[in-house]
Amino acid sequence: MGYTRRELLERCVATGVVTLATSTSLSSIAHAWDSADNKRSPTPWCELGPFYKRDAPNIAVMRTASDPGLPLSLAGTVYSVSGEILPNATLEIWQTNYFGHYDNEGYRFRTMMKPNDKGIYGVESVLPGHYPTRVCQHVHYVIAAPGHKTLTTQLYFSSDPVFDGNPDKNFSRDPLITSRELVRPVMLKEEQKQIVAVVNFDIVLEKA
Amino acid sequence: MRNRRLLASVPCLSVFLFVTSAAAQYKPVTTVALPCESRYQEISPAGDQIYVHCPDHTLSLVNVGSGAVLHSFPADLRIIGGLYSRDGSRIAIARWDGTVEVFPTSGSAEPTVFKSTARSSACAFSPDSVHLVLAPINSPGQVWDIRSTPRQVATLQQDFGGVSDCTFSPDGKLLVVADGDTVIRFYDTATWKLLHEYRGLKLETFTVKFTPDGRHVLLGGADNHFTKLDLAASDAQSLTKDTGVPAEVDFFGSSGQAAITYYDGEGHAPPHASIWSLDSGKSTPLPDEAKMTGGGVVHGKLWLMTAKGKSLDIVEYQ
Repeated sequence: MGYTRRELLERCVATGVVTLATSTSLSSIAHAWDSADNKRSPTPWCELGPFYKRDAPNIAVMRTASDPGLPLSLAGTVYSVSGEILPNATLEIWQTNYFGHYDNEGYRFRTMMKPNDKGIYGVESVLPGHYPTRVCQHVHYVIAAPGHKTLTTQLYFSSDPVFDGNPDKNFSRDPLITSRELVRPVMLKEEQKQIVAVVNFDIVLEKA
Repeated sequence: MRNRRLLASVPCLSVFLFVTSAAAQYKPVTTVALPCESRYQEISPAGDQIYVHCPDHTLSLVNVGSGAVLHSFPADLRIIGGLYSRDGSRIAIARWDGTVEVFPTSGSAEPTVFKSTARSSACAFSPDSVHLVLAPINSPGQVWDIRSTPRQVATLQQDFGGVSDCTFSPDGKLLVVADGDTVIRFYDTATWKLLHEYRGLKLETFTVKFTPDGRHVLLGGADNHFTKLDLAASDAQSLTKDTGVPAEVDFFGSSGQAAITYYDGEGHAPPHASIWSLDSGKSTPLPDEAKMTGGGVVHGKLWLMTAKGKSLDIVEYQ
């Protein structure tokens, strides 16, 4: 077992289980099959919000030891809708601090980064506070990649008290949440003797 | 006098209050009966009509002289807001589903209704009211020809993030758009082609206005600064750092005075509004007593409104 898609096709053709009705190569059929299986839905958009700031520094660790708030470890992979990873993407990520305040003077809790060669990005932060005129805690994203539509969206936390423990039912309590999918599960882990909230948020971009 | 993007992004926003007290600075204009105990109103540049937001989310167009309700929109949380044309002859009402209704304020004709492909607010009428620019929340600005059968005539390019504010030059030849990507873009309204961009700001601009002489564009936004762009020299001058985040600027009078409304999303201290001099750069907070619930520039004068129960007092700033 553990055949690749191509090997499986070869065996099936050899044993007569599958008949190729055209002159199409096994490789192209295997590739098309893979693509069909890997297709992903694009990440829902959410509005940019009023405090985007251009030219944020490229930093993966946004929190300092003295920052109040529950440490947050945010990570994910950037894909295209056909399932390819997009290591050439650029992610801009920003949020409030623990007190719900955006740093417009400087760049605290703001970063602009690229994923690694596996399309994976990661940010160390703190759980954002409640911004006074918004219902939910949130993290802003702008993601761009060559050949793809730029996406603006926001990440929300299933642990947000606003959802009363039931984001399926209550996610629309924040009228700006465009999709339940943007409310992400929160896993609490102990790392180096402190509790860290771990959240995975994969990004899927549409072709331009 | 409310910023479109801030309103659209924060539906529950209710912090734009004018705070004044010095009665001597205000000349009474009139008192109007309201259809509800409204917390927010806006006045037509012609001074003959107001639109009134009611707590039950209905919206009414009210004649200032008679108090008659000219039109009432049923309660609809999807209504983003209204925008009067420069001469006050039309008002555009935009909804979250992309529907836009353009009413003649005289009530003499049926509204023109069309549907945009994006959730948009009405951003600016051209001076001749032939074009209406829509400000989508997450896509490029749209220009619509609203004569007879409305049709979209242009999509205004941008990097991302929707449109924050826009304005036409006094002669209607230029359109200036402040986009969410922090870029200020200038368009030729004959062709709707991009003429140039200003990328000198790192934070978003919430309000963009031509100065009364039409030679400069004044920008105010999240960096708490006013920036003055010289159109002839393509030169930018950073003016005063203000005491808050300017959300809206309205020039009035003939001496370069402007009424500034501040964004107070984080619950900062007053002032929520001030009078600002373009010449001196000085900002004077309005004294704080009565709570103004709306305002606008009418025939070049600044009119401010205070709702008390179902009665609305309108005064003119002297």
